[in-house]
Amino acid sequence: MPKLIIDNREIEVPEGTKVIKAAEKLGIYIPRFCFHHALGAVGACRVCAVKFQEGPVDGVQMSCMIDAQDGMKVSTADPEAADFRRSVIEWLMLNHPHDCPVCDEGGHCLLQDLTVAGGHGIRRSKGRKRTYTDQYLGPLVYHEMNRCIQCYRCVRFYREYSGYSDLGVTGIAGRVYFGRLREGILESPFAGNLIDICPTGVYTDRPSRYTGRRWDFERTPGVCIHCSLGCRTTVSARYRQVVRVEGRFSQQVNRDFICDRGRYGFYYADRPGRPRNGRINGQTVSAQQAVEEARDRLQRITQEHGPEAVGIIGSARSSLQTLSALVHLCHTTGWQGPVFRNTWIAGAAADAAVRALSPENAFSMREIETADAILAVGADPVNEAPMLALAMRQAQRTGAEIIAIDPRPLDWPFDFAHLACRAEEMEETLASAAERLSASRRPVVICGTEITDDGIVMQAADLVAGLRGSDKRAGLFCTMPQANSFGAALLDESNACAADLADRIETGQIRALAVFESDLWHVFPDRSRLSTALEKLDLLVSVDFLDTPLFENADIGIPSLTVFEAGGIYVNQEGRAQQVRPAHTGGLPIAAAGLGDHPPRSFSPDVPGRDMPAAWAAAFSLSGQAPPETDAQMTAWMRDNFAVLADLAHMEADGVRLFAGRKVSIPDEAQIPEKKPDQFLELLPAPTIFGGEPMSGHSQCLRELAGLPAVWMARADADRLGIADDDRVSLGFENIEVTLNVRISDPMAQGVLVVYRHPDIDWQPAPDGKRIFISEDQIRRIEKA
Amino acid sequence: METRVLLKNRKPDRILDLDEYRASGGYTAAEEMLQTGRPADVQEVLEAAGLLGRGGAAFPMGVKLSTVAEDAPFPRYLVCNADEMEPGTFKDRVLIHTSPHLLIEGMLLAAFSVRAEHGIIFIRPEYENAARILEREAALAREHGLLGKNIFSSGFNFDIVVHRSGGRYICGEGTALLNALEGKRPNPRKPPPYPTVRGLWQLPTVVQNVETLCFVPHVVQNGAEWFRNLATGPDEAGTKIFSVSGRVRRPGCYELPMGTALSEIIETHAGGMAGDGRFKACLPGGASTGYMPESMYHQEMGYKGLSDAGFRLGTAAVMVFDHSACLVGATVNLLAFFARESCGWCTPCREGLPYMHDLLRRIENGQGRAEFVPMLREMAGQMGLAYCAFAPGAAAPVESLITYFEDELREHIETRRCPFETRGPIAGATK
Ligand SMILES: Cc1cc2nc3c(=O)[nH]c(=O)nc-3n(C[C@H](O)[C@H](O)[C@H](O)COP(=O)(O)O)c2cc1C
Ligand code: SF4
Ligand code: SF4
Ligand code: SF4
Ligand code: FES
Repeated sequence: MPKLIIDNREIEVPEGTKVIKAAEKLGIYIPRFCFHHALGAVGACRVCAVKFQEGPVDGVQMSCMIDAQDGMKVSTADPEAADFRRSVIEWLMLNHPHDCPVCDEGGHCLLQDLTVAGGHGIRRSKGRKRTYTDQYLGPLVYHEMNRCIQCYRCVRFYREYSGYSDLGVTGIAGRVYFGRLREGILESPFAGNLIDICPTGVYTDRPSRYTGRRWDFERTPGVCIHCSLGCRTTVSARYRQVVRVEGRFSQQVNRDFICDRGRYGFYYADRPGRPRNGRINGQTVSAQQAVEEARDRLQRITQEHGPEAVGIIGSARSSLQTLSALVHLCHTTGWQGPVFRNTWIAGAAADAAVRALSPENAFSMREIETADAILAVGADPVNEAPMLALAMRQAQRTGAEIIAIDPRPLDWPFDFAHLACRAEEMEETLASAAERLSASRRPVVICGTEITDDGIVMQAADLVAGLRGSDKRAGLFCTMPQANSFGAALLDESNACAADLADRIETGQIRALAVFESDLWHVFPDRSRLSTALEKLDLLVSVDFLDTPLFENADIGIPSLTVFEAGGIYVNQEGRAQQVRPAHTGGLPIAAAGLGDHPPRSFSPDVPGRDMPAAWAAAFSLSGQAPPETDAQMTAWMRDNFAVLADLAHMEADGVRLFAGRKVSIPDEAQIPEKKPDQFLELLPAPTIFGGEPMSGHSQCLRELAGLPAVWMARADADRLGIADDDRVSLGFENIEVTLNVRISDPMAQGVLVVYRHPDIDWQPAPDGKRIFISEDQIRRIEKA
Repeated sequence: METRVLLKNRKPDRILDLDEYRASGGYTAAEEMLQTGRPADVQEVLEAAGLLGRGGAAFPMGVKLSTVAEDAPFPRYLVCNADEMEPGTFKDRVLIHTSPHLLIEGMLLAAFSVRAEHGIIFIRPEYENAARILEREAALAREHGLLGKNIFSSGFNFDIVVHRSGGRYICGEGTALLNALEGKRPNPRKPPPYPTVRGLWQLPTVVQNVETLCFVPHVVQNGAEWFRNLATGPDEAGTKIFSVSGRVRRPGCYELPMGTALSEIIETHAGGMAGDGRFKACLPGGASTGYMPESMYHQEMGYKGLSDAGFRLGTAAVMVFDHSACLVGATVNLLAFFARESCGWCTPCREGLPYMHDLLRRIENGQGRAEFVPMLREMAGQMGLAYCAFAPGAAAPVESLITYFEDELREHIETRRCPFETRGPIAGATK
């Protein structure tokens, strides 16, 4: 470990540490523009110059480019180095527009900070400034090229780090331009990171443009709940409203970046249609009245018909607080449930994953980055768990081979071998592909749980166990459908799914249903069955922060708080429980409450709309119990009441890992997927990054990116059916008919029609536990007008 | 007396064809070396001869070859740098048009010494004729078994492709050239690792200038001692082709002993100063070297001699200015070129050079201020901290202008006009 002296202070750092990092350890911040710890050092901006006074390197040199070595004596304040740094800043400012007052970067701009710090205060140049034409880059990222200081961070992130190529550099000398060849929507679903990574205001957040300076915002550490990975975020709120979300560093999870779904998915929280009042039989009441009415009526039904007459449904988008409160609610009242699973099959796969993951074999995204071989089965990271794709890319950049086993067309930002096969072929394909991991030393098996069944998950787990048995540092990584799927599986005792409750409603056993933060309407396999069942009920209570159709149709609607107001604990797909703190006080946003004067000119001591309960508090209230008073008391209560949650006491910066502590073995009755009949195609609904997830689906800017609803098919199928790319087809099955654009893809599994979830497709996913097969003559080509 | 080694077969109207080249002893060095020599032999004799790279950096070729490790991975590449982008330099073009097979044989021997199988000639796009000559002659060499598989039945394989550059100055820089060949932006790479360790597509790559490679057959054939003795003194080695241009009577390429005095080059070979001009200054090695003032008129022009005197011989493109030339104006012109040709990677070069150009242009146009001079001096010095050798090269004329011709600068500033008045004000910014 080399030892060196920086500004007269000694420090010992690991071999290979750059001087700029060594200085950081001493608390000495050396200016930098091009250097970024995720992107590495390239020596382009030259602003990190320091003087090497003694040792193996001599004179003024770039501290980001030089490894710390024994005997070095470094000065950051040496006049030659400081003068040079001041010159670099002067050069960078020659063409800078100085438009800080109207630049959204102002206030957290590295160029501002270093210009002030570097001592360049007065413009000496009489020359003209160069200017550029900006580009339209889509609904998320605003482009203002004049502010560019050519640090090349954007293109290094976009092309090298994340693997997309539609943004780049053109031109040379003073004319280098960072943008697209032609203006247009950025293709990368990670494009929003340009905003965070650019040290100036070239890329700024488009939807939140001009909403405030950084110091105007309440900034709170958050965790993304738009998929199961649980990336760290920083949430900025102003005037009781979330205005911006940025990536926040996490050593084990997302590192520096987040995906665009995570960055822009929050708009559901403050959209005008969000339930903020209680509702009883269509009448608006206060939230509190709605809670009391629901409590009384549920008690009455319990008294009249027994506790079995009430069913409770929850979902994995709720916090662990809510999930455990629901379990407790059923324990204390004898009500049925809570049911967390949408469909039996999806729940079974996630449950198998939770049981298969142990402290030894569960890999974090950080560990994926260092894998030397990756086998992904039934997982489409870009669409199911976007940041996982970036972790896999980092592995591939350092040489990992990547193999995918999946029926879907896969569009991943790195090279991989795609073994396209249908569900019933997956087991065999996985078994034979496993051999390709034999030469690796740190292999990872990634397994999805959305289009796979529990059998595949267990096979993947067994494969990992086998690899570990032969002395490899092998890991298992399972993606899950929702932010708290892991937490729900930990607490789920019933293993029942929504359809099981529907049975009991139909038989008249259940007469009242309370649904907590679940889009039953959206996920229930058979919608006509659902609506008939719901109509039979004496009482339907919906507790939600989304205005779902269910909430609209419920007898009693109780508005609940979002994660931004209530906080909560979410357990990501590797069992990592992470705490989210509330980002603002809650209540009606001032924009909505202020009678049009925004920012408000008049104030009152009470905040309108603050009487909404967190869903967990509502759960306590429904049984007549008083909820724990504070968040801390709630967490303590959870630890005390649930053995699997006891480790929450050890919550650290990186969260705490929770495990089910149960062993898996393939049960005798493991699912064997049905075989696809000849002359039929399987219709496979698949998750998609933009538009498929219930919360982020409300973000207008993301809906713009969702494209047109489409059905994907393999070339061989399309040729046989006489269908061409871009044709429109109508698919009829059971009582549903949808019209979709055709996309032909190779490779993807033959005999499969993939339809990505889309906000404009108002239809049902797979009937519970079964695959949908549609006969070839149910696919009709529609002549173009 | 002109000592002709490389240009001994120069014909006024055509290139030397393969038969003529072989008749004059061509390819015998290669044949003998491939059949009976060891790769290390080539490297050793070049090192002993002290053959320095002729592309501008003057790095000893033998030493460079020795940095390709014995156990380095294959395939390995040999790249001939025929970009010849340095303003004032036109020797590589003359060499190719004189005797293309000398270059091909040189590449063959250099490749043999590091066991490179792939040769690439990276050529300036304006040299389309030269590129076609090379393609045609390489094809002929292939037909005659001088390139391709199992050359001279030695078991050694080597072939050459000609790649036309995108046509920017920076593409000639040895590492930017590799990026360009890989289809990337021609930004230089920062060693280590050096290209001989990880070059083209991360594989060992030797990059040499045309002139350097043309020496190889001669040195292999005649030995180190012979080569060293070609120079004027013991500190220098070989001959050098001087590309003489500017205010002389007979501009052109002159191959002379390394270390020939500047006065002799101008008077004996280039026919003396043109018209009634008096020698005022010259750039000794292309646009990225400093002005040599009149006091250095008798300076010996060799790598060692010039560097001892604080100058660089560069490509030995001698650009001569007479007493009627305004060096401020000339430098504005050079800076316009450099500011335009910067690759745009690092700040000093991309932003600093246009700034220097702007200041100097104002001085030339009579809008200069006294404080511009120290600003220019400081910035010129700071160009040394740029990412690659481009920026310090670009600053060299400015630095020497301030050192040797400060009076001329001050006169521009004080009289608020160009004392030479050879033309009107220089218009426009550089962008
Ligand atoms: C900005 C710049 C431009 C250069 N252009 C050329 C060129 O056009 N031709 C060339 O042979 N070398 C050029 N060089 C030198 C090369 O980097 C490299 O040193 C040379 O090709 C190596 O060959 P040599 O050792 O045989 O000279 C240039 C260097 C710099 C810094
Ligand atoms: S756009 Fe931003 S990130 Fe990209 S080079 Fe310019 S300043 Fe750097
Ligand atoms: S990858 Fe998932 S958790 Fe991470 S930011 Fe995107 S949606 Fe959120
Ligand atoms: S000095 Fe910098 S900008 Fe100039 S050519 Fe070299 S790397 Fe490019
Ligand atoms: S931070 Fe070191 S050169 Fe840019």
